[in-house]
Amino acid sequence: MIRFDRVTKRYGHRAVVDSVSLEVRKGGLCVLLGESGSGKSTLMRMVNRMVEPDAGRVMLDGTDIANVPPESLRHGIGYVIQSVGLFPHWRVADNIATVPRLLGWDAARVASRVDALLQLVGLPPEDFRARYPHELSGGQAQRIGLARALAADPPVLLMDEPFSALDPGIRRGLQVALRRIHAETAKTILFVTHDVEEALLLADELAVMQDGRLLAHGRPAEVLRRDADPVVKRLFGEATLAFHRLGTLRAANAARPASATQPAEAQLPILPPDSNLKQALMLMLESGTDQVALPGGATLHLSDILAAA
Amino acid sequence: MAQARPATLARDLATRAPPPPVPREATAAALLAALAASLPFLLGWLSIAANRLVSPRPVSLPLHGGTGLGAACFVLGCLGVALLARRRSLLPWAEVTAGLALLALLATLGLGAGAALDGGARLARAAPGAGFWLAALSLLLSAGCCAAGRDAAREGEAAGATPTRFLAVAVPGIVLLVASGVLDPLSLMREAASRGPELQAALWRHALLAAGALALAGLVAVPLSLLALRRPRLEAALMALANGLQVVPSIALFGLLMAPLAGLAAVWPALRGWGIGGIGAAPAVIGISAYLLLPLAAGLLSGLRQAPADILDAARGQGMGEGAILRHIRLPLGAGAMLGGLRTAAVQAVGLATLAALVGAGGLGAIVFQGIGQLAADLILLGVLPVVGLSLCIDAALAAAQAALAPAGRRG
Ligand SMILES: Nc1ncnc2c1ncn2[C@@H]1O[C@H](COP(=O)(O)OP(=O)(O)O)[C@@H](O)[C@H]1O
Ligand SMILES: [Mg+2]
Repeated sequence: MIRFDRVTKRYGHRAVVDSVSLEVRKGGLCVLLGESGSGKSTLMRMVNRMVEPDAGRVMLDGTDIANVPPESLRHGIGYVIQSVGLFPHWRVADNIATVPRLLGWDAARVASRVDALLQLVGLPPEDFRARYPHELSGGQAQRIGLARALAADPPVLLMDEPFSALDPGIRRGLQVALRRIHAETAKTILFVTHDVEEALLLADELAVMQDGRLLAHGRPAEVLRRDADPVVKRLFGEATLAFHRLGTLRAANAARPASATQPAEAQLPILPPDSNLKQALMLMLESGTDQVALPGGATLHLSDILAAA
Repeated sequence: MAQARPATLARDLATRAPPPPVPREATAAALLAALAASLPFLLGWLSIAANRLVSPRPVSLPLHGGTGLGAACFVLGCLGVALLARRRSLLPWAEVTAGLALLALLATLGLGAGAALDGGARLARAAPGAGFWLAALSLLLSAGCCAAGRDAAREGEAAGATPTRFLAVAVPGIVLLVASGVLDPLSLMREAASRGPELQAALWRHALLAAGALALAGLVAVPLSLLALRRPRLEAALMALANGLQVVPSIALFGLLMAPLAGLAAVWPALRGWGIGGIGAAPAVIGISAYLLLPLAAGLLSGLRQAPADILDAARGQGMGEGAILRHIRLPLGAGAMLGGLRTAAVQAVGLATLAALVGAGGLGAIVFQGIGQLAADLILLGVLPVVGLSLCIDAALAAAQAALAPAGRRG
């Protein structure tokens, strides 16, 4: 869907993005992770031509975007930034309607779309439509930012540290909302963050950047392998790398199937469905056992976790 | 004992609770109002000259009948200003009261002049005394203080301290007083009556000169500011030029323009048909507009820059073109700052147009300079007062527009 083909961007003599090749598959949620100044935003902004590469090209659905006029390209790409950037003199409904109006939708279609989007991002339309941005909390404003980006139903969404300025609790809520919206709408999302926890929570695919170069790319479990690049290890924190890795592995894959010879003990704590090994370990620590039960009757032992990690 | 304590405590708190805060501007407004109330009595309301040629002498106001009533209203009005200004919520009313006090002052003057001249020689002339002028000025300043306090109360309001309410009372009131004939005994009004058509023509001419200069400056400043938004070097050049022009004395600039324009007209006589020549409206309008370039361009550029970078980034990222960004983002967010520049420029234009008379362009300045030539104070005032009034009215109107145009959803 989005393909970077050896793209480079220089400011002065410094290559801020250095010959990066990366592909984000259709419907995927790819998280660009890296320290501040590693070139994540620059790479992301090449997709909607807010930054023009000095070398290489960016393909969108097989088309070289250099041949698409920037304005019409951007109408088809949702854009969410950390500071939100709602227009302060426009009501919430008008803010959300920005791109549909640029595309010339009629008023009735715009109005019903605005209400549907407010519902999608979890804000009651009748309460929020007519508000001005200064009447919103930070979390509400970013929900509106997300609704605005989704307004014309673009297939691609670019999100540049959208939740980084929010309090942890609010951020958590928005992350959950984004996962839900991604599952419902199957958008292709490129998501920039410097927060390891956030990256692991959201990513289908992880791309790790350092000094303008792509260090690692793949499913989170692959990126966090035991023999990962030392710089990747340092980025995730050497001490907690194994712990983070547990978060990328499904508990069901490491569990022992229910067997007749060893019937599951009735009083074992039960792990919720679709849990990962980190959650399994937390449950064991919490309940003081070395075994937990899975919903299907399978059991998971502490030694299974050690073997999988 | 223990039971009584909370009550004592509450009483303590009640007695110690600070009184509602007196606005910072209250003292100044009250002092100025007190000054206004006493000055006419100390320095004289009225002076009378036997004819136009001898210098006027202060006379005491015949304080009986309508004159006494007027003076009492005036003093009460000043007292009202001082008292009302002590509460922030009442500041607008203090400002209105200052306007009413000014009207009472004027009416007293007119009635007093009528009484003092009654039965006197037909050639005798009554003019306002020093006390009257200083009292009127004090009232205006006092109203300005009230306006400043009122604006400070509205957080983030950039409307400046134009006493809009004062003017809204005073201007129609003065028009009514003039129309009623109460002021007719004053020599200024006699002068105005004898020069009615001339005065009216000069006023129109003056407004036209100022508006023409403003339009010409706008014609230059608007496109250059839009271009400078993208080109820092053009902005530096524009600002250097506009700043440089401010330093040239205006009379010198008018003079400098006379020679080239005269030359142009000599080469292309057709230009004379358009009124372009070494003297007349052309050098005046061009010269005045040169001074308006700085306030206009500075206001425009600062207005165009009001939109924060993150909002512009979001707008571009959604696929708004530069034209749409200008229309939907930059102009509405910058309208206040731009109107501020226009306001400064318009007031300057009205003031500078007085000097247009020096290059033969007419306007109210012609009356002023005629008065200076004849040492006739009434004639000077006849030219100056409309200039002051015009400036104040334009300033107030644009200030009101600025307040009305403030974006509905201000950043919190
Ligand atoms: N327009 C620009 N001009 C000069 N340097 C820039 C510009 N934009 C970004 N940079 C530099 O490029 C580097 C990468 O920036 P960025 O992509 O924003 O990093 P990140 O988003 O990973 O924090 C930074 O060192 C930054 O200073
Ligand atoms: Mg960034």
